Amino acid sequence: MRWTARTRTGFACGAVALIFTVYSARLVHLQVAKHDEYARLAAEKHTMRQVIHARRGLIFDRNGELLASNLPVRTVVADGSHIKDPDALARLAAPLLDMTEAEFREKISCGRKYIVLRREVPEDTAVALGQALQKASLRGIYFEQDAVRIYPNGQMLGHVLGFLDSESSGIQGVELTMEKYLRGRDGFRFIERDRTGREIMLYRGQEEPADHGLNVRLTIDMGLQAILEEELDVAFHDLKPEMAVAILANPKTGEILAMANRPCFDPNRPGDAKPEQMKNRAIIDMVEPGSTFKIVVASGALNEGTVKEKTGIFCENGSFAYGGKILRDHHGYGTMTVHDILVKSSNIGSAKMALMMGDTKFYEYVRRFGFGERSGIELPGEIPGLVHPPHRWDNLTITRMPMGHALAVTPLQITMGMSVIANGGKLMTPQIVRSIEDSDGRVVYDKPPKVSREVIPQKTARFVSNALSGVVGQGGTAQLARVAGFTVAGKTGTAQKVSPTGGYAPGKYVVSFVGYLPEEDPQFVCLVMVDDAKIAGGLNYGGLVAAPIFSRIGERAARHLDLVPALRAEAAPPLAFDTTRRTPEEP
Amino acid sequence: MNANRRKQVNPVHLTSLARCLLVAVFLGAAGLFYVYMKNQHFALAEEIRQVERKIAGVKAQNETLLARVTELSSRRVLQQRIAEGFIAMRPIQDNVIARLSAPAAAQADGVMRTAFVERARP
Repeated sequence: MRWTARTRTGFACGAVALIFTVYSARLVHLQVAKHDEYARLAAEKHTMRQVIHARRGLIFDRNGELLASNLPVRTVVADGSHIKDPDALARLAAPLLDMTEAEFREKISCGRKYIVLRREVPEDTAVALGQALQKASLRGIYFEQDAVRIYPNGQMLGHVLGFLDSESSGIQGVELTMEKYLRGRDGFRFIERDRTGREIMLYRGQEEPADHGLNVRLTIDMGLQAILEEELDVAFHDLKPEMAVAILANPKTGEILAMANRPCFDPNRPGDAKPEQMKNRAIIDMVEPGSTFKIVVASGALNEGTVKEKTGIFCENGSFAYGGKILRDHHGYGTMTVHDILVKSSNIGSAKMALMMGDTKFYEYVRRFGFGERSGIELPGEIPGLVHPPHRWDNLTITRMPMGHALAVTPLQITMGMSVIANGGKLMTPQIVRSIEDSDGRVVYDKPPKVSREVIPQKTARFVSNALSGVVGQGGTAQLARVAGFTVAGKTGTAQKVSPTGGYAPGKYVVSFVGYLPEEDPQFVCLVMVDDAKIAGGLNYGGLVAAPIFSRIGERAARHLDLVPALRAEAAPPLAFDTTRRTPEEP
Repeated sequence: MNANRRKQVNPVHLTSLARCLLVAVFLGAAGLFYVYMKNQHFALAEEIRQVERKIAGVKAQNETLLARVTELSSRRVLQQRIAEGFIAMRPIQDNVIARLSAPAAAQADGVMRTAFVERARP
């Protein structure tokens, strides 16, 4: 080939064309083939995913009284790379953040891009600090939105409501069981920031709004809760027991109207409480129920036809030898009907009814009343109690269990067991959550009352109920449980306290009274249980310690619920010991 | 200047010049307008950001005040105020409660039986 001018020109043009073709190909490769990859890398450099925090749902009582809400606070953070004058910043910010200047300087000295200076700073303090920083033209301190959970009623209902951990997740009470409804779902938006850290609004990207948590409405009536708490406080102060529990429930629906424990704690400051104070003993403590359990054997024996209403049972004049041991009554009784056995709370009569029924049938009724199984209430940590099957019983169990020994139950199970009698024989599933609502108050989920099972027919329940009204009447064991204007039905319980080291603790008793009113159309069932009241040994009985507390709660609850008195008020019987009642101020 | 040189002078094409100037002015104006619009965008975006911050601040302040109101009107605080004597309340005595008889129930037609309704009945 001749290397002429034309050839050289052609060669140079070809080379240039080739170079441009290569560059163009590379450009196309970068812009088209690698577009997504490089766009993502560029976006990562500039954009960030900003979280839009979901607001936790509120908790209300059945009448809309607010029980748990959120208080906006800020987390104050520093960006070490933006701080130019640490001394000036420390002088300005440290007093507002409740720190010394030295502490502040030490915190920011590491120079990291994200330093948490203080959490849960009140909104007004954060606003004041922001304005002061702007005025002094200082940079490096930023604010993050946050919220803390507040419980306006403090200790009241603390065990039921529960509290949150540092990550704002429920770890006890309704806060835990309703976590998935209350929590909500955080949203996000992609934003770009300039070099000073301010958002460039123009480049705001994809956004998904936060899905705020749903509100939970409880079955609790705070009016009744306040009554329960007040009366328990007085009893706890005067009787100085190890613990006291009271539950108020609607027997027809299974709704828990109030639930209180002593000792208790303030969910606003869970860190200050001891573990014993945090226990919701109504559902996680096992106790021997004592004589309140006699309703089970009486109902079972009547329903099975083992005994009739008029059947006389010989109560061995107060001393019954069985299984090598002597079973005693408080007084020596002769032949009594089922009605009288319940009114006089005869251990021997109850034991004989169980013997007549047989262990398998008796055990069946114990289970049918809901003992030995979790009730299914929407509270965490509920225990099933301890009811051994007949093949694990010894010779004495058949005579001890009818009087509420040789088994362990929760206070809630006793309440629901009594509700069976008050509700015409039907066992309701206890519920503490009434509905779930959105932020506009629209009901998303309404929880209807649920019948667990029909334990006994209405006729049997009526008979037992009638006998239980005798317990509170003249000659019964719980005359102090009377409520002026209303017929009360109920049963006392006095059980020796089980020692943690085995056997029974001498001189220590768990006393209780569980009853309902009005007997003809029960509006509420109430349990009062007091563990080891510091009172003279001869007075530590359910009828003397727990019954008066029930009476005061019943009287105030009836007034709160506006129940119309059906009876003429009678003078209250004299009290066996100095009552804990505080007399209201006379007008 | 001789006649030959005069013949060689190129004439000014005013029409073309005007067209070119027009295009240049249009392009310049468009550029300036683009810059102005972009600036407006940024200014408005900044304004939106400020308003958003203000709204968030007001919302937070509102929630803080609501929380304060909730706390001050809570049962616990009210009971404390009663105990301290700031709110004077006395329990209603049974002898001053007057209970009215239950109102007449509506009948099958759903009309409440009241004196007025009964009088108007044909």
